[in-house]
Amino acid sequence: MRSRRSEVSYTARQRSYRLLLYVLMLVGCVIMLLPFFWMLTTSLKTEAGAMRMPPQWIPAKLHWENYAVAWGMAPFGRYFFNSFFVSITSTIGEVITTILAAYAFAKMRFFGKNVLFAILLGTLMIPGEMLLVPNYVTLTRLGWLDHYEALIIPWMVSVFGIFLLRQFFRSIPDELWDAARIDGCPRGRYLWRVVVPLSKPAVLTVALFKFLGSWNAYQWVLMMTNTESMRTVPVGLATFSSDIGTAYHLLMAASVMAILPILILFFFTQKQFIQGIARTGIK
Amino acid sequence: MLRKIVVGLLGVLLLGTAAMAANEPVTIDFWHAMSSGHQPNLQALITAFQAEYPHITVTLTYQGSYSALQGKINAAVAAGNLPTMAQVYENWVTPIESILYPIGPHMTMMEVGDIVDGLVPSNTYNGVLTTVPFNKSIMVLYYNADLIATPPATWAEFYDLAKTLTVDTNGDGTIDRFGTGLRPAANPEQFLVFLDQAGGSILNADWTEVTINDAAGMAAIQFLGSLIPYTFVTSDYMSDHMAQVAMFIDTSAGYNYNKTAATNAGYALGVAMLPVGPASQSSMIQGTNLAVFDVPNQTQAQKDAAVLLARFLLRAENTVFWAMKSGYQPVTRSAYETQAWKDFVAANPYQQAMSAQMLLGFSQILHPNYGDMRTILSTKFDEIMRGATGALDGLNSMAEEIEPLLSE
Repeated sequence: MRSRRSEVSYTARQRSYRLLLYVLMLVGCVIMLLPFFWMLTTSLKTEAGAMRMPPQWIPAKLHWENYAVAWGMAPFGRYFFNSFFVSITSTIGEVITTILAAYAFAKMRFFGKNVLFAILLGTLMIPGEMLLVPNYVTLTRLGWLDHYEALIIPWMVSVFGIFLLRQFFRSIPDELWDAARIDGCPRGRYLWRVVVPLSKPAVLTVALFKFLGSWNAYQWVLMMTNTESMRTVPVGLATFSSDIGTAYHLLMAASVMAILPILILFFFTQKQFIQGIARTGIK
Repeated sequence: MLRKIVVGLLGVLLLGTAAMAANEPVTIDFWHAMSSGHQPNLQALITAFQAEYPHITVTLTYQGSYSALQGKINAAVAAGNLPTMAQVYENWVTPIESILYPIGPHMTMMEVGDIVDGLVPSNTYNGVLTTVPFNKSIMVLYYNADLIATPPATWAEFYDLAKTLTVDTNGDGTIDRFGTGLRPAANPEQFLVFLDQAGGSILNADWTEVTINDAAGMAAIQFLGSLIPYTFVTSDYMSDHMAQVAMFIDTSAGYNYNKTAATNAGYALGVAMLPVGPASQSSMIQGTNLAVFDVPNQTQAQKDAAVLLARFLLRAENTVFWAMKSGYQPVTRSAYETQAWKDFVAANPYQQAMSAQMLLGFSQILHPNYGDMRTILSTKFDEIMRGATGALDGLNSMAEEIEPLLSE
């Protein structure tokens, strides 16, 4: 009797904890979604409505024309093409170079491996802003300024990605390679047929972070390009702000359009994305 | 006779060649920071220029915000690929004045003399007009016209009004509306306005001495210090806090944003000239100039074409067009006399105060370290207005920190 009672109270306690958890998650969810909600509603307000204090959460009249106006204020069609092209190619490039380098650092023996890896990690300590001018000078001398090469090639290698995948590859038992070698499998084939499929969540995480970073890149694109035909969506978004103020309603309309591809990508890959984040401990 | 004919023919040939060379197609790059709102108007001016000079093609390139444009210019100096011309703030180009192509010597005396007085010193390097003003605004007084029937005319009136209009409407111990508002961290030029009106300056005339904490500086900072209890201090645009302030000093270029925000806050916005200080009613001119770069990657033809464009933009009808469309102020005196501008001011009465204030404007000093000095001004001015440091201590601290920058 006593044990049944304690079982009941245990279940009730469990339920209360779960309810509390759900409430906390709901609150967290609302906090996370609030900026998106504000972005969406502001995109449908007038200029005056967007600046109203206290904020007007739901506009009395929905101004869908803001989307057409925002789209027409800059060549967004071209910007979207460039954003997709640059993000996809640099992501593919980075995934390939990262896999190769990470495998070498994780599983192969060569002279100075650890020193080289430490130097690579050391480069993570240098702020990107500090390298902007030297990189600009280098790309100018290479004749890549205002070309896709400037937007893609320097970003086809990521030390952080190498570090991430190296740690993942190290957890793969060496016995697998021994078995593959006995079966006559060359190292390249082993890497692409065995190691990479086993590391799918980590590889996808690297790819997703790269895509997001590339899609959102602003300063680099602005610096390395001069013509509108080479620019990307984030640069287009900057045209709605000036030193004296921001056209929030148009900026938010353009922002909604800009995040759509990322949202779609996230819907399709959220399982891998969450798995990758959980396994690699990235926050 | 034959000799004369040959010489004559050669002369005609030479002139023809020179004329053809003068009209050789040339393309110039113009880097700017005018975002989408202003870009169509700038493009309209460029289109008109190209119609007048069909052999010149101007490639307008938007380079993002002012700070992004500055970063790009710095990088381009290092890489040796500067554009033909760019919009520049004074402190961006003072360290690289040796690579500026002086525009003034290629202008007529009348054109040079037509530039608004307050804009000449900040474009003159070693006695030569080197850059020319382009998008210029002036700091004016914005006020809640429903609360203030007559804007303050003197510092004393400004103080009294700020004090009277600072209220805790619901009696909860928190001030609901401040008499005035300042953005010291974002806009340290607000302090420079009071400094100039008190008759002071950051440095003496030949830049050998820091004078910011002399008697005029002390008068300015003590006045601002007395306003602390009645001042809303923020780094945001004042248009984001319109309901919290009764009057504030801000750039004329922000009129449209301030007007919309005032309407949202439920009051009519008034614009007036600044109250008169102990020495003057001056105000600080802000905004950028046009610079042509004298660098190896730009040919003489490109530099000449850029000078033509700069002169074109200074023409009364063009600076008026730009001012009417953009909210900036005309930069030549003759522009203020045009019928188009007079009609515009008549239709937009707020412009009267802005125009009058512009003619009493002063610009930033051309010291190569002004950028670093400005950082010190903004940090210390912010500390003073937030009450983190005493007014006089803060002023002396500004002077101490600026001192080493004189010799660097």
